[in-house]
Amino acid sequence: MHVPRTPHAGLSRRRLLGGLAAAAGAGVLSGCSSDVLSGLTASREEAGTLAYWNLFGGGDGVRMQQMLDTYQRDHAQVALSATTLAWGNPYYTKLSLATIGDKPPDVAISHLTRMKNMVEAGLLQELDPAALARHGLAADRFTPRTWEAGLVDGRAYSIPLDTHPFVMFYNTDVCEKAGLLGADGALTPLDSPEAFTDAMRRAKQVTGAYGGVVASISETSTPWRIFQSLYSQLGGQVISDQGREVVIDDAKATEVLTFLRSLTSDGLFPAVADYQGSIAMFAEGQAGFYFQGEWEISTFQTAKTPFSMTLFPHLYREGPYAVQADSHTFVLPRHPDTSPERLDRALEFVASMLDQSRTWAEGGHVPSYRPFLESAEFRDLKPQSNYAAAAEAAAYDAEGWYSGSGSNFEIVTGSAIGAVIAGQSTPATAVGRMRSALRDLARTPSPI
Amino acid sequence: MSTETVTPAARPVQPPEPSTARPPGQGRAATGFLLPFGLLYLAFILGPAVYGLIMSFFDASLVRPGLGGFAGFGNYTEALQSADFWSSLWHTLWFTILTTPPLIVLAFVFALLADRVSRGRWFFRLAFFAPFILPSAVVALIWIFMYTPELGLLEVGLAKIGVTAPAWLGDPTWAMPSLAVTTIWWTLGFNFILYLAGLQEIPRDLYEASAIDGAGPWQQIRRITIPMLGRTTTLVAVLQVIASLKVFDQMYLMTTGGPDFATRSVLQYVYDQGFTNFRLGYAAAVSMLFFLVVLAVSAVWFTIVRRQEKEV
Amino acid sequence: MAHSTLAAPEAETAQSRGVTQAKIDQRHRLFNRICLGVLIAFALLWLVPLAWAVDTALKPNAETTRTTWLIDDPTFAAFGRVLSDTPILNWFGASLITSTLTAVGTVVTASLAGFALSRMRFRYRNLVFWAILAGIMIPGQVLIVPQFREMDALGLLNTYWAVSLPQIPTAVAIFIFKQFFDGLPRDLEEAARIDGAGWFRIYRGVVMPLARPAVAAVAIFTFVTSWNELLWPLLVLTNPDLMTMPVGLATVQGAFGIRYADTMASTVLGAIPLVAVFLLFQRHIVQGIAGTGLKG
Repeated sequence: MHVPRTPHAGLSRRRLLGGLAAAAGAGVLSGCSSDVLSGLTASREEAGTLAYWNLFGGGDGVRMQQMLDTYQRDHAQVALSATTLAWGNPYYTKLSLATIGDKPPDVAISHLTRMKNMVEAGLLQELDPAALARHGLAADRFTPRTWEAGLVDGRAYSIPLDTHPFVMFYNTDVCEKAGLLGADGALTPLDSPEAFTDAMRRAKQVTGAYGGVVASISETSTPWRIFQSLYSQLGGQVISDQGREVVIDDAKATEVLTFLRSLTSDGLFPAVADYQGSIAMFAEGQAGFYFQGEWEISTFQTAKTPFSMTLFPHLYREGPYAVQADSHTFVLPRHPDTSPERLDRALEFVASMLDQSRTWAEGGHVPSYRPFLESAEFRDLKPQSNYAAAAEAAAYDAEGWYSGSGSNFEIVTGSAIGAVIAGQSTPATAVGRMRSALRDLARTPSPI
Repeated sequence: MSTETVTPAARPVQPPEPSTARPPGQGRAATGFLLPFGLLYLAFILGPAVYGLIMSFFDASLVRPGLGGFAGFGNYTEALQSADFWSSLWHTLWFTILTTPPLIVLAFVFALLADRVSRGRWFFRLAFFAPFILPSAVVALIWIFMYTPELGLLEVGLAKIGVTAPAWLGDPTWAMPSLAVTTIWWTLGFNFILYLAGLQEIPRDLYEASAIDGAGPWQQIRRITIPMLGRTTTLVAVLQVIASLKVFDQMYLMTTGGPDFATRSVLQYVYDQGFTNFRLGYAAAVSMLFFLVVLAVSAVWFTIVRRQEKEV
Repeated sequence: MAHSTLAAPEAETAQSRGVTQAKIDQRHRLFNRICLGVLIAFALLWLVPLAWAVDTALKPNAETTRTTWLIDDPTFAAFGRVLSDTPILNWFGASLITSTLTAVGTVVTASLAGFALSRMRFRYRNLVFWAILAGIMIPGQVLIVPQFREMDALGLLNTYWAVSLPQIPTAVAIFIFKQFFDGLPRDLEEAARIDGAGWFRIYRGVVMPLARPAVAAVAIFTFVTSWNELLWPLLVLTNPDLMTMPVGLATVQGAFGIRYADTMASTVLGAIPLVAVFLLFQRHIVQGIAGTGLKG
């Protein structure tokens, strides 16, 4: 590198400017919280704080903020610092690294399907039943499916907030014109693949574009969710033995994929639709049905779409009803400070969130807190209560170190399934692709 | 710029003779002067390098203490057989191919044009160089917004001239070119400055002489400028290739390696395996393989520079 | 640069002087004008994304979905929201501290080592020299896995030391200093030595004051590089209140969702410190890069 050897003319001016900049910097530094300087000393945070991490964007984020505001109003003495991070792998990576680095949040949101791996990795704190009971969070306060699915060796590590199933949105105007609504205004049941296809055809005649829509490209979770819902109704499994075995049932998987492909090849669904595009089509009435997690409720309420929601249909009647779902849970990451005060503050916070289940349910999620779920208030909350039964039929993603919401598992399977729906791949190819990719993951010894 | 610019890596290779008349006892003083650097170098570069090499032979996990079980060459064979590893290498290479030529050609052209402009050069320096100094996160946020479907500036702008924009970051085919465009916008300024400096090294009288000789601007560029900038171009190309090999920020920030892993670079593969999947041993092995690739590229660089030295 | 190879054409051309001088001049002037036009067009194009970010930041969130440069109701509200809803001032502080630590550490250690290599004669001098040179070949990114483990073991995760310490030992900085010292005249040193000054006094009192340009180049360049570093601080800083600016911006981007004005306001705020550094030290930065041969 060449270094210029210039005389120091003008240095005084620069020194002046530099001095000003330094002064400004010092001003800002003194203005920030003392946390900044704690980065030099690795000191503990002061007592009375509560750090909370979540992954809620969009409408969920707005509702969560309302709930946090309420909590803060009731607990003015607690310095709450809530952080929202982008969801999926980055969120869980950050949460793990923060826990390993001994600066985890006091409370964090985790998907139920991601929580178990963190337990295995020793990153979460076990929740003592007595402490839970003290804050009104005993096991019997929660729906059995969400509570039990979260246990590891019979021990509790998470407190379920909700279940978020895959559901069916339908345009009420379109369905009425298509003759799909009964006398009471409810959708006539779609109880077989044929009935489903027929309903889509009739809806298509009304919209003039498509019967229904599901996101197929640039998106892996949605194709996985619709596949898993139908495949589970057939009793199919993808992986077993903690992810060490790949047990895809070729016949069942091919049946589901062929059915999904028939919807797009017959022009009842658009073959190519990304997440935002599928929303737009339903919102603008180009499709009578829309398949997605219930959280999109706020989008269509804002867009003033004439719509309602119900359970994802039970098409394969050989087995019991099943639908892909996951749950948001509260977890307490392993923390260097194990004082009872901190634990109480954290559980108190969780209890306050659950007390606001009404606010949360307005965003579409099925509450898992029974005092609210079983109240008349929730029964009257429409269309949310229409699909509350999905919580007990939830088909959670199978266990494995590479599995869970937004994980490699969903990316690998969802991209193969999406390619079939989009007409870029055949069902047989997709099954082969899923199997070989999953086998690679299954063969890898679990790092946890 | 003065004219004593140093050629890349050539000068430091031969330590100049220390002057002859020196008091004795320099060994101890030298140790003292080298110690602060030496300690940090051992603790944070050499030490970890050795530790990383050892770790790559074990099934070390992020969430378990110690090295874990001995894996032999298991991590290496797994990486070499892994389609994901090879595709991440290919993505890195594809990114290099997409960014390097435009970054060289455009920077050269812009510098050439700017060199001919007598006034307002500060403005061009600002326009082209300002993006380079911004953090990748700022650049990524701006460009994610530019690429947003339906309301991004690019889609709306192209629609005005009747072009239907692709789903930039959402389409596996377009995601990498989109990242390349962002990268070109971001880092072009660096090469621009290098070329501008190189141009100023060319003696003006060469141009004057050739102009008198009847050479037009185009001939001057071809006969004088391009050959005289040969060495700068080598430098730019090598720095560019090495920087591209280490690409991480743009992918991590703008696509998280997606869609469907179509833009995952080697470094992000290391990050994913080590810190998302907790597989530290495997990630260390991939790091070592990646290091070999960087070494190979650097070796090519040295060879080229050596040859150029000889030619001059 | 190779002057000798081009001496010949220079001599030949003298005779054709003044043949069609006017015509050629005209050709060159036209060419320069076209150059200027093209260049201005591209420079403006290059500024569009920055201008668009500023423009969007000045809109109310609701207006950002209409893709237009015009703002019905310009407002600084988005900046206010970013300042109150995110710890962006903390991020600024963290970046300032880590970058300063890195820059000062690099200047001190590299100038000391560079001085020893330039002025002292000792055993294993060549070995040391090559060991340092070899360090250039190891890209820091290759070491993130073992370095993370190391910081964990040292209990330094989530401290600024974890961010800065591995960035300090940079071989390139040593060569810059060594080269600079090699070029300094030795008379002053000799005089100081006759006065009985030791090595350290020569370094502090004689050589370093002369080395201001090298110090400035290394310090500013290290500062900017360190400020912009993403991967390493992303790994070791996970507490949102301790994050550096790039890590903070990268981490909470999801939280803004479709509030584009807020997102763009955060990018503008994130860009301001470096734009300021650039405007202050433009010449140093540009000359530093122009002289680079070893960076990367």
